[in-house]
Amino acid sequence: MKLELGRIHIKDIQLGNETAVKDGILTINQDELISRLKEDERVKDIKIDLARPGEKVRIIPVKDVIEPRVKIEGDGNGFPGVTTKMAQLGSGKVNVLYGAAVVTVGDIVGFQEGVIDMWGEGAKWTPFSKTNNIVVDIKPVEGLAPHAHEETVRLAGLKAAEYIGEAGRNVEPDEVLVYEMGTHAEESKKYPDLPKVLYVEMLISQGLLHDGYIYGVNSQLILPTLLHPNEELDGAVISGNCVAACDKITTYQHQNNSVILDLYAQHGKTINFLGVILTPELTTLEGKFRTCDYTAKLCKTLGADGVIVSEEGYGNPDSDLLMICKRLEKEGIKTVLITDECSGWDGMSQPLADTTPEAVAVVSTGNVSHVVTLEPADKVIGDINAIATLACGWEGCVGEDGSLQCELNAVIGATSEIGYHNCTVKLY
Amino acid sequence: MDKKCYQIVTNNPVVKENYDRVIFVDGSFQDVLLKARDLVHSGHQLINHPLGASIRMFFSPYRSILVSDKPDNLDINHVEIIENSIVSYNKQMEHRKPDEANRKDYAFIDGELLKSSLEEYKRLSI
Repeated sequence: MKLELGRIHIKDIQLGNETAVKDGILTINQDELISRLKEDERVKDIKIDLARPGEKVRIIPVKDVIEPRVKIEGDGNGFPGVTTKMAQLGSGKVNVLYGAAVVTVGDIVGFQEGVIDMWGEGAKWTPFSKTNNIVVDIKPVEGLAPHAHEETVRLAGLKAAEYIGEAGRNVEPDEVLVYEMGTHAEESKKYPDLPKVLYVEMLISQGLLHDGYIYGVNSQLILPTLLHPNEELDGAVISGNCVAACDKITTYQHQNNSVILDLYAQHGKTINFLGVILTPELTTLEGKFRTCDYTAKLCKTLGADGVIVSEEGYGNPDSDLLMICKRLEKEGIKTVLITDECSGWDGMSQPLADTTPEAVAVVSTGNVSHVVTLEPADKVIGDINAIATLACGWEGCVGEDGSLQCELNAVIGATSEIGYHNCTVKLY
Repeated sequence: MDKKCYQIVTNNPVVKENYDRVIFVDGSFQDVLLKARDLVHSGHQLINHPLGASIRMFFSPYRSILVSDKPDNLDINHVEIIENSIVSYNKQMEHRKPDEANRKDYAFIDGELLKSSLEEYKRLSI
């Protein structure tokens, strides 16, 4: 498979009479975008706002972030199985509006809190303070059941990204990144001496607001499955998860999965990258045993010498992470885990909800309990009431000047467990 | 395992209202964990994991946990899971209070996650 991502560098965004990119400035025809999204009868109102890096703007509660793109050659424009007809992803040419992002907001339940601050202390922690954000606030019709509400918001974000992505169709990209990898037989012939490495990406798969989708299939219903890395980079994996702000994997982060990109960079140099196994994080213990056994079996069958495992969420998924580690290490497969820590305000407590002696190589992507102070914003996009949820964690967390203290767990992407974030790692 | 070999340990009034086989705990999320722990120590097995999958769900005032309806031999793995879950919960809530303002929404989502767990359990059972 060969996928070419042509990056069109977006330096600024604005609203205007047409949706187009000129000299790195993305203009959006707001009325056309709104009418496109209102084709879904479940959508009552759409509000479009723009948020640029450095502006004193807060976006809350964020549901998803999506990178606008258009496929200019090959099958599968949009999100096959979700917003467009089924197609095999992973090949062809895609133009990417690099530096722009669609951010969806919308209350599905009252306790969502995911925040993106475009300036100040908050901006340091979220990778989406550096993107030019087109914020789509979706209000559904009254009486919509929560599952339908969630789906409406999810699809509206994807469709908005698709519509905006079209603006890049005839624009010459500033740079082209090529991702090409053949069959296992071909790659092993090319690199017979390099260790074979698989990437296991875990997805929260547990019900309303806790779901992920692969080509539109709810990951609750799958056995662990193998993807060519290009498929994920081409939009095969969608987020339906919106209560774990700091460590949920947004659709944007799937499209730009840092682990895949880093393994690709090493492919043919230090490793032979075999692909991505998507593994659901189920709720039942029997389900967890089955997926963990199956994941280890796939890794062994494919002949992996090493496996990188990334988690999504915290709590019961810690058990899956460590069970996968245990099984792989017992098979003699070197295993590295990527996870965030929930190690208390001082960072000194046990970081995960579970432990195993086999977990000897662990990359931490940050402490979700770390407390940060967010200054008051000049403008809030989304639901101002959600700020109360953000701040009501403990006595004295709201200052007299309106600043508030919150834990990193409220900040979108702050401790991304696939490493798509702003923290760095020290080697111990 | 028989498809109906479960009980629901819960403090969620919505679950109490809509399900049979409920062991209702008139107390907190932590009390639900402690009740589940007592049952596990007396030989009941955990069917779903006692904790949620996201930090935000730790702030839920409500939790529903599925356990087997009849006691069997003590399973040390299940003891470990429930004990670790309690340690983890207490640590997470050291400075935080349950999010009472959104009590109703948490009751709803807990019910949804329970429904999802039960569906998963029924798909798995023999």
